[in-house]
Amino acid sequence: MARIIGGIGTSHAPSIAHAYDKKLQAEPLWAPLFDGYKPAKAWLEQAKPDLMIVFYNDHMNRFFFDAYPTFALGVGDRHELADEGWGKRDFPPLSGDAEFGWHLARSLVADEFDPTICQEIAIDHGILSVLPLLCDAPWPAPVIPIAVNVIQHPLPSALRLWKLGQAIRRAVESYPRDLKVVVLGTGGMSHQLHGERFGFMNPEWDNRFMDLLEADPLALTRMTHREYMALGGAESVELIMWLGMRGALDDRVRRVHRNYHAPLITGYGLVVLENAGPSAA
Amino acid sequence: MPLTKESKREEGPGELPGTLVFTGERSRLGYRLNKLAMSLVDPANRKSFLADEAAYMSAAGLTPAEREMVRRRDWAAMIAHGGNIYLILKIAGTVGQTLLQMGAQMRGETLDALMATLPGHGTAGGH
Repeated sequence: MARIIGGIGTSHAPSIAHAYDKKLQAEPLWAPLFDGYKPAKAWLEQAKPDLMIVFYNDHMNRFFFDAYPTFALGVGDRHELADEGWGKRDFPPLSGDAEFGWHLARSLVADEFDPTICQEIAIDHGILSVLPLLCDAPWPAPVIPIAVNVIQHPLPSALRLWKLGQAIRRAVESYPRDLKVVVLGTGGMSHQLHGERFGFMNPEWDNRFMDLLEADPLALTRMTHREYMALGGAESVELIMWLGMRGALDDRVRRVHRNYHAPLITGYGLVVLENAGPSAA
Repeated sequence: MPLTKESKREEGPGELPGTLVFTGERSRLGYRLNKLAMSLVDPANRKSFLADEAAYMSAAGLTPAEREMVRRRDWAAMIAHGGNIYLILKIAGTVGQTLLQMGAQMRGETLDALMATLPGHGTAGGH
């Protein structure tokens, strides 16, 4: 039986990719971010997952508003990298796992989740901005991408993401092969990229979110999109994708690592959690 | 059947100050502009756009008002007109502007003024 061994919540941002590609990792502005990923990378190296299931959102690179999926699942054996408008980054494509991908598709649909099933899903900075901070290319494990609409309202609710995470866990645990799976939820913490409120950040809320994600995630599932946007800026509604990850884990988790750095226009957050069993209650 | 508590909560995002929530109504309004921007993920299209912006916009069916917003690099107007920030950013990127330049304009201030408000301002490695 496949099983989930832990989860990672992480920001994603084009600025992380930009700093990486410009080799700014050791610069004072960026070192607290890049150094903060080293324990997460070490954890992954030690955990050696066979598969990484990643909640993320596409930023108008694979999908357009002609037909915009609320949830999309990448079931191919390979995922190309997207050109976001300024050229592809210099990394190999991601590998996928068609056998598991189609299993996940069947299991989710049977479980009343109905993602758009994609045999081609070019990946943008939603995954690629942080993947090189978490592991070295060639990528050590296949990635199953789950793209979420966090851009064009109406959006799925925070609770819906939580339930999707639970459904993913059921799918993993019904897979006959003995795989170790890590679930990632990526999404920008506080940030707003448009309008007069451009640049809004709320580090206090970002840190409270990470506290609650660990200890009382159900409180986060009860929040409306408006509450997320008011606390963290309109684009921070991406945080609901961290709840997809959390929903796939045990009620109780053990925090392995956490990091936060907010030097520019978004909070860069990271948390690594291991399963610690069902609730005592 | 009454709305469940869950669905009722998600009736709509409502308005927030300084914010234009990207609703279906905005997506409909900005469709042409957003579609043009989406085409710029193809390097050949970026080349065509840069070679003859007016012809490119005309072929994309933009209205005169929409073409004028692009010509003036008026990011705030494009967002107000239903442009999605991730798509309008592709137009900006194609013409050599950054997200922070867009942000300064949308806030109605200079880039230097915006940069001075960033917590990491003056730290080596910043933009």
